[in-house]
Amino acid sequence: MIEFNNVSKIYQSGTHALKNINIKIDDGEFVFIVGSSGAGKSTFLKLIMHEETPTSGDIIINDISLADLKRKDVPYLRRMMGIVFQDFRLIDKMTVYENVAFAMRCIGAHPAMIKKRVQYILKLVGLSDKMKSRPSELSGGEQQRVSLARALVNNPSIIIADEPTGNIDPEMSYEILDLLSEINKHGTTVIIVTHEQELVTVFGKRIVEIKDGCVLSDTSLNRAVELDDVDDFFFG
Amino acid sequence: MKGVKKRFRLSTVLYLLKEGTKNIWNNRSMSLASIGVLVSCLLLTGAATLISLNVKDVVKSIGDKNIVYVYLNDDVSKLEAIALGQEIKKVPNISECVFFSKDDAIKQYQESLGEIFNEMTGKSNPLPNAYHISITDLSKYKETVSKLQAINGVNKISNRSDVAEKLTKLDRLVTSAGVWIIIILGLISLFIISNTIRMTMYARRFEISIMKSVGATDLFVRIPFVIEGMVMGLISGVISSLALMFLYDGIMAAVNNIVSFKWISFSSVYGAVLVIFIIAGILIGAAGGFISIGKYLKKEGGEILGW
Ligand SMILES: Nc1ncnc2c1ncn2[C@@H]1O[C@H](COP(=O)(O)OP(=O)(O)OP(=O)(O)O)[C@@H](O)[C@H]1O
Ligand SMILES: [Mg+2]
Repeated sequence: MIEFNNVSKIYQSGTHALKNINIKIDDGEFVFIVGSSGAGKSTFLKLIMHEETPTSGDIIINDISLADLKRKDVPYLRRMMGIVFQDFRLIDKMTVYENVAFAMRCIGAHPAMIKKRVQYILKLVGLSDKMKSRPSELSGGEQQRVSLARALVNNPSIIIADEPTGNIDPEMSYEILDLLSEINKHGTTVIIVTHEQELVTVFGKRIVEIKDGCVLSDTSLNRAVELDDVDDFFFG
Repeated sequence: MKGVKKRFRLSTVLYLLKEGTKNIWNNRSMSLASIGVLVSCLLLTGAATLISLNVKDVVKSIGDKNIVYVYLNDDVSKLEAIALGQEIKKVPNISECVFFSKDDAIKQYQESLGEIFNEMTGKSNPLPNAYHISITDLSKYKETVSKLQAINGVNKISNRSDVAEKLTKLDRLVTSAGVWIIIILGLISLFIISNTIRMTMYARRFEISIMKSVGATDLFVRIPFVIEGMVMGLISGVISSLALMFLYDGIMAAVNNIVSFKWISFSSVYGAVLVIFIIAGILIGAAGGFISIGKYLKKEGGEILGW
């Protein structure tokens, strides 16, 4: 479970990226985080990944309060999450297989285990036949699936994706989101940041909208809030 | 985060070793430069140390052979001479004190130079009675000699203070210069190696950011770079000890043309040189690797990539 209690983030530059955020994401949930550019979506994810620390408030992930987290324990926190980047972040001098295996090597997995698991995951994302290709030889959608495979390979309990559909066409985007909801069905929490509001509504999942560092709406809360938002939208 | 296994398995250790050596190859021109600098540093350090050892050795052998002759006045009888001997022995910094009578002296001349000294025996012996003494610490030569001189009945003392003093001075100079050379060259090596590793790290920053995002520990990220430094140090240690072996005898022979002396044979110190060079190289390399990665480890995500 991920819990934000009165979390604010002010960057060194003075930018107030998040203001008093309260969010609770249960295990196995599928959440879209939407909002315009500069709203604070990436900041929200960075706080979860502990790449940034909040200026005030507490963040609790799987019963661990990040404020009490020691530096040496940060890697073990990250092993609970798989991260998918908008720009894929694949290493081009490695093959598709090696890119995915790399994530397992980094946490000291057993070689036999790596072999078994990487093949399984690549099959899951439908890239078994591209195992020996270089990332640059793949389409955008395929590259994003490699990135997803790498995020999944260490069997995380949370998948975090920052604009996973930002660099691929709508059809591919739909495929990736479909794959993610498939993974979510097996119990993995999925948090996706995106601009694409239309795509998001089709899926009928929980949507949290962030604007200027505040939670503007959250479909998991009662409808009254949403109706307020609608009022705001039309009359505010 | 309890119950997490933090020890590396063998396959992981091998993987990290491979990554470290791969770094050297991938960044070979800078690695070569680093090894070159480290080799020169080790060579200079080694040469300074060996020169100092040789000087010390020469000083010591002079000290051994340097029996100072204390000549007694002509009017000192044999009995009085024995009493004088007791007094000489009381002077500090004297390790040996042997009476050498005028008869012994002339006998020595006869033996080495022949019969022309035959007529000078007995009463016509012009040589004085003497004590042959050795001085323990040559750096206190002057003090000791003046103390001996002050004894009643001592005529004069064979004087080799110049040589002793000069050699001791030279040894001190070489030793202190050696220490500075070691410190300065050590720092230069450290600087160059850590810069080289920093370049590898910069080249691999993308991988480092991924490693951190998938939960690699600091140690795991750090090890390949430390290994990179250690392997460069190891290579430098081996190369420089071999080079020193070839250079040493040549240099010593050349020096021997100017001042003749018996130098320490390299084979007697080769083992020590090899071990010390390798250890020094590995330590400097490891330190270089450790220093350079520290800064990167504190960075997160996009910061590593310079975004
Ligand atoms: N490292 C940083 N230092 C200073 N300010 C930052 C930093 N990162 C983000 N910001 C600022 O914080 C605000 C929120 O940024 P954030 O990246 O969270 O937005 P976002 O919602 O992800 O936007 P986008 O959709 O464009 O990615 C922005 O005004 C941004 O300029
Ligand atoms: Mg963003």
